[in-house]
Amino acid sequence: MRKTVKLDIKNLSIERGERDLCCELSFSVQSGDLIRIAGENGAGKSSLMKAILGWVPIEDGELIYNGEDVTQHRDMLLQDQLYLGHTPGIKNVFTALENLKLYCPDKSDRQLEQALEEVQLLAFSDTPAAQLSAGQKRRIALARLWLTDKSLWFLDEPFTALDVKGVSVLEEKMAAHLSEGGAVVITTHQPLLHLSPKVIELSV
Amino acid sequence: MNYRSYFKSEWLSLLRRKQDTLNALLFFVMVITLFPLGVDPSSEFLSPAAGGIIWCATALAILMAVEGMYKEDYNDGSLEQWLASGLSVSILVFLKVFAQWVMVVVPLLLVLPLLAQMLFLPASALGVLMCSILLGTPALFFIGSIGAALTVSLRRGAVLMLLLILPLYIPVIVFATGAVRAAQMEMAYSGQLAILGAISLVALALSPIMAAVSIRASVN
Repeated sequence: MRKTVKLDIKNLSIERGERDLCCELSFSVQSGDLIRIAGENGAGKSSLMKAILGWVPIEDGELIYNGEDVTQHRDMLLQDQLYLGHTPGIKNVFTALENLKLYCPDKSDRQLEQALEEVQLLAFSDTPAAQLSAGQKRRIALARLWLTDKSLWFLDEPFTALDVKGVSVLEEKMAAHLSEGGAVVITTHQPLLHLSPKVIELSV
Repeated sequence: MNYRSYFKSEWLSLLRRKQDTLNALLFFVMVITLFPLGVDPSSEFLSPAAGGIIWCATALAILMAVEGMYKEDYNDGSLEQWLASGLSVSILVFLKVFAQWVMVVVPLLLVLPLLAQMLFLPASALGVLMCSILLGTPALFFIGSIGAALTVSLRRGAVLMLLLILPLYIPVIVFATGAVRAAQMEMAYSGQLAILGAISLVALALSPIMAAVSIRASVN
């Protein structure tokens, strides 16, 4: 079972330049929750995730994680979460295995290879990421999700560049994560085929 | 990710991208080799100017190396992963700068005796020159890392970075060349070396924090 988490977002407002994003937005995420942040391009879906994680400034509102104010105790939230953005931090000079080793140094080679096998990349474990496609790089990044025991997953457009098989594997893993008591916050324009998320709609 | 795995990966990454280090080294050697051909190859001119020539070439080579220091990390999303990792970004910056410093400065020190000989620098001043490089170049790297972090998200940030950090390089160059010149004239040079060390220590203390703030602003 995953560590129990509860993240409360209360009256959150974000401003980027002259634009107001997410005016007085409130919702909560707890163990077992799948939250889909929806909205048109530019509605502020990615900015909302980054604001929760602390690198987009919050204009107003409160973020409470397990009863503590996130702005004062951000480390608590960061230690329990795993974020995958549009560009997921895969290094072109490293092989698929080396990329996983960087982010999951406490795992054995066997465990890393097993994770690569689950995303059908075992045959490419020694191939430099520069020679892999965008979808294959995305799959390396996704393999990190099931190598760590983080409770809270923040996934920003994780289906980008994934093929049908990749989408299905990720959905299965998300379902398993939720059943173990984890929580997922996801932004995607693609409908989830096998999962029923709570939807937070943002408008431009 | 932890600090150890990050540091290991940084080394590996620098070793795999040897051309970046080689470019800086090649630039350094070319500037020093071409300078006497373009100005005056006589020992009367080159010997007193040797410290200045070598230090200007060093500063420019380091500028080349630090300019793109965070570019790849920014483009592949690694900087976002730094921020989301819960690790101290200042420590990650320090580890990155340290690895880069070793990769650029060690080869530079290895070719230095030959180039110093070419510029007729007396053997008695070579040790001081090497000491000044060891003590002064950390400051150049740490100061450069702030500029690189501030301009990482800009498409043509190189010129802005030069404008931002080049004035901060001047004291280092002045004291370093002063130390070499003093050694050539058989005068005391420990004061200049001490100041170089002090500048590097101040840069070491402040730059990782400032670069971390700049990275946060750039990623945002």
